[in-house]
Amino acid sequence: MFKKDSILLYSFGGVVFIITAIVFWNYYTPEWKGYQNEFQDLVATKFGAEKIQQVPQGLQQIWVEDLNRVDRCTTCHQGMEWKGLDNVAHPFKSHPQEILKKHPLSQYGCTVCHGGQGFATDMESAHGFVEHWEEPLMGKQVSDLYLIKDRRAMMQINCNSCHRYDRETKGADYINQAKQLVAEKNCRACHTINDRGGTIGPDLTYVGDKSPEQYDYSRMLGVKTAFAWHVSHLQNPKALVPETVMPNFGFNSRDAQALGLLVMSWRRTTIPARYLSGVKFSEQQTAEEAEKEKRMLEGEGAFFVKKGCFVCHSVSTLGVESASKIGPDLSEAVTDVQSRFGKQLEDFLNNPTGTMAVVLSTQIILSPEEKREAVEKLKIAYQKKVEQQTQSAAAQNTRPQATPSPSPPKR
Amino acid sequence: MATKPTVWARLKNQRATWEKIKWTWVPETNREAGDSVVRNFLLHWFPAKVTRQSLSWNYSFWLGTISAVLFLILIVTGIPLMFLYVPSVERAYLSVKDIEFTVSFGWFLRGLHRVSAHLMVAVVFLHLVRVFLAGAYKNGTAAKQNRPLNWIIGITLLLLTLLLSFTGYLLPWDQLAYWAITVGTNIASAAPVVGEQLRFFLLGGSTIDQNTLIRFYVLHCFFLPLGVLLLFSYHMWRVRKDGGLACVDQLSLEQKKENAQPIKSKTYSLLGIASGRTVHVETSIVDEDKHTVASSPNLTRRLLLVSLGTLAVSVVLTVLFRAPLEAAANPTVTPNPAKAPWYFLWLQELVTLTTFTIGGITINGALIGGIFVPGILVVAAIVWPYLDKSPVSTVGVWMARARRRQNIVFLIIVAAILVLTIVGTYLRGPYWDFYWPWQSWPTMPRKF
Repeated sequence: MFKKDSILLYSFGGVVFIITAIVFWNYYTPEWKGYQNEFQDLVATKFGAEKIQQVPQGLQQIWVEDLNRVDRCTTCHQGMEWKGLDNVAHPFKSHPQEILKKHPLSQYGCTVCHGGQGFATDMESAHGFVEHWEEPLMGKQVSDLYLIKDRRAMMQINCNSCHRYDRETKGADYINQAKQLVAEKNCRACHTINDRGGTIGPDLTYVGDKSPEQYDYSRMLGVKTAFAWHVSHLQNPKALVPETVMPNFGFNSRDAQALGLLVMSWRRTTIPARYLSGVKFSEQQTAEEAEKEKRMLEGEGAFFVKKGCFVCHSVSTLGVESASKIGPDLSEAVTDVQSRFGKQLEDFLNNPTGTMAVVLSTQIILSPEEKREAVEKLKIAYQKKVEQQTQSAAAQNTRPQATPSPSPPKR
Repeated sequence: MATKPTVWARLKNQRATWEKIKWTWVPETNREAGDSVVRNFLLHWFPAKVTRQSLSWNYSFWLGTISAVLFLILIVTGIPLMFLYVPSVERAYLSVKDIEFTVSFGWFLRGLHRVSAHLMVAVVFLHLVRVFLAGAYKNGTAAKQNRPLNWIIGITLLLLTLLLSFTGYLLPWDQLAYWAITVGTNIASAAPVVGEQLRFFLLGGSTIDQNTLIRFYVLHCFFLPLGVLLLFSYHMWRVRKDGGLACVDQLSLEQKKENAQPIKSKTYSLLGIASGRTVHVETSIVDEDKHTVASSPNLTRRLLLVSLGTLAVSVVLTVLFRAPLEAAANPTVTPNPAKAPWYFLWLQELVTLTTFTIGGITINGALIGGIFVPGILVVAAIVWPYLDKSPVSTVGVWMARARRRQNIVFLIIVAAILVLTIVGTYLRGPYWDFYWPWQSWPTMPRKF
């Protein structure tokens, strides 16, 4: 009865042993190790053996907390930031350096622009052409599917996640073309886009999030994807949706592809505001404030506005009005400086004392020419002040009651 | 003066090590065999001697043992997973991705945990089927037996197993998880009167969110396993109290028929702690020399064999079928078809079949298929041992003549559950439409 037990025992033990061996074998020979070895050889032949020490080993990842991305692409794509690897084949080719200057890897990672699965550590999963990964690598494979010659075209969908509110984005020619078309054909007549537009057609602000199953593909040929639907719908709306009122704009295939990319880029994102192009972090000026600043910048006292003196000082006779008025009005500086500091204006600017010593040495640094210009301008301002005073005194003497001035000069 | 060990001495040393490695032990007397069981804490729940019948493959198929081994595998793989997994809506999916891609052997741990969980649901169910068909929930002739109680505990263990699997299903927080739980809890909400509250209680709110995740996590990692452990211990203890497997009762019955000389009853006491007659007295009615063998090493060896076999099958399946991880949970995108976990698909299928409209009145399938049918089945299973009046000669006998009718009804129910499960799992495609295996599903559209 128990004779066969030992045979079974050995065979089960053998199975467990074999599986354990397989699991360990996989663990010690991952795909990326092969690429890392190849990259070391490449570095050794191109730059010399001593450079190998600069090549990091083991799993690499870029964690961008703000974008909620963990990208392990650089585990195999090790040459991204190296110089002199522009002409080698993938995965070791270096990234075009210019675009990296504005989008450093440490702050952006890879997948936020390129798509693909950043978590993955094997090529198939990483490039995202696997089941259940909706954001595949936006490269050649996808472009070929839609017969788009530019293999970077599909990637522009991701560019527009951050550059959505740009009129024009350098390098994103498809998206730029599409944005121009949106303005030219006045899509907003019927569609709301970014909170602005009509209500005849559906709101397109987040149409890129629409589930691919929500489109009707029954009258469509070719691959059944949301992007393909948009492209053919843009070229001939009635062919796909017979009851539609959307006119046929006669887009050629490049127009339709460009618009399709733009439409697919309109997604709800959780990108922090500082990543969004064109978003400014400052309080908005009221129209009056902006108008006043503009006037001051164009007037006689522009020098004091540009140099920042106006933050504390008004120069009332030159039309410069300080919002804070911390310091005295500079219209009278010529005499005021003399009475306060016992110095000529020129001397004071060259050897300031008190608060102005700090300001002129740290915040507002003036060259000798600028100092001369300041003195000249302040002399003009003082002249005007004197003229004003004599005029108002004369006016008061001749017609004391004629026009009551709102703020009579103090006696 | 210390001398270097000679080559011979070192060789001898190595031989001693080898002897230690290939150490075996065979008891030389019955007493030695019995003592080994009593003295070893891990073995002390075994009797000193077991019947050959209990050890045979084709009476019990060792399904209970396999379930227990699977549960052990689940604990062993689950504990490291608890350290790696983060039960938060933001991090859960990402942490599972990390387990898959960067944790050393993480994919294997998760895969083995998943495979064992699925196997455990299946094996526990098969165990129930086996116990019913063999009439093993019935009391024999010995005193103080209470097998119906153990049957009820077994059903509770099955329900706990299902709940454990169901709560674990949500944790990866992917589309599969999210929508399976949606389907499952929507069925629960069809319960009369308390349905909506039940759903609210399960989810910790009206939508599946952080509250649900932490609820399921705590249940999955603490309360449900604790419940299984406690009930399993009691289940095993009752098996001993009831005189071992039900097939043993047949042996003693046959022995009585043979009019054999009464065997001298022995009084054992369990280390002097338990008072009164112990289980040994009941089992010793059987002619020991004729029917039994020493537990150690016969039972222990077979137990190890079953454990190793279970582990072998699980690891092979783990390597062959990688655990899926779908896109991150997205409440706004419903996958098509949205399916419950496979062991609830017979219910989902029933819900679909019982939802129909006659003359403007829509029959709520979730109520009939999702609540009444499984409810009635569980209640019927619980009370059945008390309604089953078949003779004692059917105890522990596979497909006994006297129990033929109930076995057939039972098998029909089991077959129906299996068929509905298979239909739900393999033959239902997008929009819950029926597809034969040779018909391909329409390719579902993708974004790019």
